[in-house]
Amino acid sequence: MSVVERPPLEQQVTLVELVDRVLGKGVVITGDITLSVAGVDLVYVGLRVLLSSVSALEAAR
Amino acid sequence: MSGFYVYGVVAAGSAVPASPVAVRLVECGSLAAVVGDVSLEEFGEDALARNLNDREWLEAHARTHDAVLHAFVGVTPVVPLRFGAIYRTEDEVRRMLETRREFFETTLAQLRGRVEMGVKAWIDRAAFQRQLARRGAAEEAASGRGYLERRQSELAAAGEASRRVAELARASHERLLAAAVDGVTNRAQPRELTGRLDEMILNGAYLVPEDDSRLVDEVARLSEEWGRLGVSFEATGPWPPYNFARIEEPAR
Repeated sequence: MSVVERPPLEQQVTLVELVDRVLGKGVVITGDITLSVAGVDLVYVGLRVLLSSVSALEAAR
Repeated sequence: MSGFYVYGVVAAGSAVPASPVAVRLVECGSLAAVVGDVSLEEFGEDALARNLNDREWLEAHARTHDAVLHAFVGVTPVVPLRFGAIYRTEDEVRRMLETRREFFETTLAQLRGRVEMGVKAWIDRAAFQRQLARRGAAEEAASGRGYLERRQSELAAAGEASRRVAELARASHERLLAAAVDGVTNRAQPRELTGRLDEMILNGAYLVPEDDSRLVDEVARLSEEWGRLGVSFEATGPWPPYNFARIEEPAR
């Protein structure tokens, strides 16, 4: 079964899902926050980190 | 030195479910922030900028953020905050709640008894196009057209397939929406990230009543209707309502 053959990528899907939700969604509080990543595009950051690890993964094959 | 990481907002007096990291409530009036202590050596602004680029760090903390909020799903309504809301003092956490009281109260009321489900649709584009072509070929044979006309209709078929895919994604979302309280579509994730051969054509999130199977039933029906043409559907969840606490606070 393909699910068994590709555990790293299956896990990747879940991580992508997390990036979509945890970094991409939820209420963004700005203004009064003391330490803030409010101004940071977290999805961009997250996807870049993931993509670089995906290409590293591919290269390792 | 430590700071206060706010995962989400619940009603004051809510029970705190077991969680992978220690969290507690910081209350202010009718509201409470779900708060965990974090080291500013790790979550201070400079450290955070560095750590966000560390895949393992990001993954571990994104998972923790989700796990803390997940523990509330189906138990207590929670408004998820986006990753990385950190305060220096509990007083600042209370002030954050106080200044946004109306928004949080309204959102909590809307989320009560409801959970988020994710639905993705995938397509095996080659199989889909083959199926469309097969259908087309039967018509061709019946019409008895020549080579050039056939070639032309092949080219038209590729464009037709793209239109059909877009239409299929839209129609699926409409049907899922009809089985939910609310719904949104997010950008489809690219193959580089999903690692799948099939192409994602729908990345939807739906707000549904707890213990209501209508959405999942509709996903099963869609799978059955479209499976033969190379389209598959996949439901995930329940999730904390990340996609349904979407009012962003304007900077003041």
